[in-house]
Amino acid sequence: MALFTLQDISVAYNKQNILKDFNLEIEKGKLVSLLGPSGCGKTTTLRLIAGFLQANEGKFLFKDKDYTKVPVNKRNFGFVFQNYALFPHLSIFDNIAFGLRLRKISKSEIEKRVMNVLEIVNLKGFEKRYPQELSGGQKQRVAIARALVIEPDILLFDEPLSNLDANLRVNMRVEIRRIQQELGITTVYVSHDQEECFSISDQVAIMNKGVIEQLSDPASIYKYPETKFVADFIGFKNFIDFDKRVDHEDKIELSKSGYVFVIQKDAQMINLSGKIGAIRPDDLLIRAKDISEVVSENSISGRVKVSTYLGRSFQYVVETPIGDFTVNKEMTESYRAGQEIVLEIPRNQMVLVD
Amino acid sequence: MKKRYLYLLLLPGVLFLTIFMIVPIFLTIGTTFFNESGFTIQGYLDFFKDRYFIEILLTTLRVSLFTTIICILLGFPAAYYISKLGKRTKAIMLLFTIFPLLTSPVVRSFSWMVIIGKNGVINKLLLSMGLIDKPLDILYTPTAIIIGLVHLFLPLIIVTLVGVMENIETDLLKAAESLGASRLAVFSKVIIPLSVPGLVIGSILVFVGSFTAYTTPALLGGKQRVISTFLYQNAITLNEWQVASIVATIMIAVTVLIISIMNGLAKKLNPKG
Repeated sequence: MALFTLQDISVAYNKQNILKDFNLEIEKGKLVSLLGPSGCGKTTTLRLIAGFLQANEGKFLFKDKDYTKVPVNKRNFGFVFQNYALFPHLSIFDNIAFGLRLRKISKSEIEKRVMNVLEIVNLKGFEKRYPQELSGGQKQRVAIARALVIEPDILLFDEPLSNLDANLRVNMRVEIRRIQQELGITTVYVSHDQEECFSISDQVAIMNKGVIEQLSDPASIYKYPETKFVADFIGFKNFIDFDKRVDHEDKIELSKSGYVFVIQKDAQMINLSGKIGAIRPDDLLIRAKDISEVVSENSISGRVKVSTYLGRSFQYVVETPIGDFTVNKEMTESYRAGQEIVLEIPRNQMVLVD
Repeated sequence: MKKRYLYLLLLPGVLFLTIFMIVPIFLTIGTTFFNESGFTIQGYLDFFKDRYFIEILLTTLRVSLFTTIICILLGFPAAYYISKLGKRTKAIMLLFTIFPLLTSPVVRSFSWMVIIGKNGVINKLLLSMGLIDKPLDILYTPTAIIIGLVHLFLPLIIVTLVGVMENIETDLLKAAESLGASRLAVFSKVIIPLSVPGLVIGSILVFVGSFTAYTTPALLGGKQRVISTFLYQNAITLNEWQVASIVATIMIAVTVLIISIMNGLAKKLNPKG
């Protein structure tokens, strides 16, 4: 059963729709990420859940109660900000105790709970310091502790790691996932970093222009993107807009300008009507063309336009009669710009999207 | 140009202030400790035994204190409102705020006389409404001085507070709200403590300004002396330069004392501000 639901939500600023007929259901105890480029409405969605902004239309249901008009301070949701938002005039202890003091909890209980949560975020011994004396990662852990200590019904993260450097980011996301699972707390996490979202989430919602393009577990999204936007966002850089799609028992036949490609029909494949083929640069096969070679199934001949050295591999942009392709290939064999080559699309590496 | 020669740029200003301000101040202070027979603090002892002077000093302190408190009470909400405005409207509002500073205190004081005098606008209005039987004595009282000084100094505290409040991140207020704080709690637990630096600077400006103000108390105070009009009376009317110097020295001492008390208070309220 859903813990909370956003129902037909619309939000607009200056007559511009940020969210339109937006729907989202989140189950208890799950960590759900909202992932998308800037301006896709993910932060708006999060602020709406928190109560920082009101929807023009639609409802927000929490435990089947209408929470649409409940003010922020009555919701009991924890919010973790990108810039930490710690109170600079309060010590770490007082920062964390802020929410508890507002709840008229006894002094000894506050002390106990603050110390307990400091232990959870590994910051024991920091309670007398002030925010200015901490590093970015420590500040963010205080912010998480401050949100956790009020025992919130939902924990909300707004790009919590984007101000930290790369190594710390990886450590912190493991921390966040650990804490979330230990406490079984329902969490909504906003980020524009794909790896971050995929590594910590039970479910990922990929958003674009105010709508959810796909909501699924990370592995399914990675393997079976449903739309061209999702595919592009998670690294399928090559798209073929086919003219015709014919479904058979165990395979699908696709054609474009007379070139025919066949892919395996997969039981898990979700998209039953899409005619756009998507394939990752790493999954395309490239080889030099023999003069006498007759191009076989799923292959097309072309010419290398650009060759870029990436360190571990080369990246080629290949020109073919049905468009340009980007291909990554490890260094064992390299091709020059202008060289004639053959591209092959393996039967099981292309997905079809809308 | 080498960096150490940059200090030369300070020279004209420093020279001017030294010759025309610092040296005269120390000379003034110096003369108060000497009479014909050498070093003495008799002048000060006489002063603090004098009921009349103590009365004036206390009145001045009281007037300055009330002016500061009223300025804070009126200025704080106004400053908060202005700090939340958009760039354009904020600029316009700040312009309105400092507008009173563009007219001379003399003109303003005379305007207040018209408003609060025996036959002034306020008394006429209250009389015609039957709320009072005879005109209220507002003009030529400490109340009149306070009214005039608040009018004079309110812009200062608003401008100082806006500067500090602008820099309070809105996410801090949202964070407080998400932790369960009502609007009132956000105001008292986040906005006020973070405004302390502005409050301190603003209060010092208003208090010291009120303590040393001359024109407004001279015109609106009538026979009611404050310390600056007392100093003027001694120096110009009575030609008692020794007494005037002692008054001036006491004023400097009180000012320095007030500033250090305020700073101490600020440290206590906002240890990391």
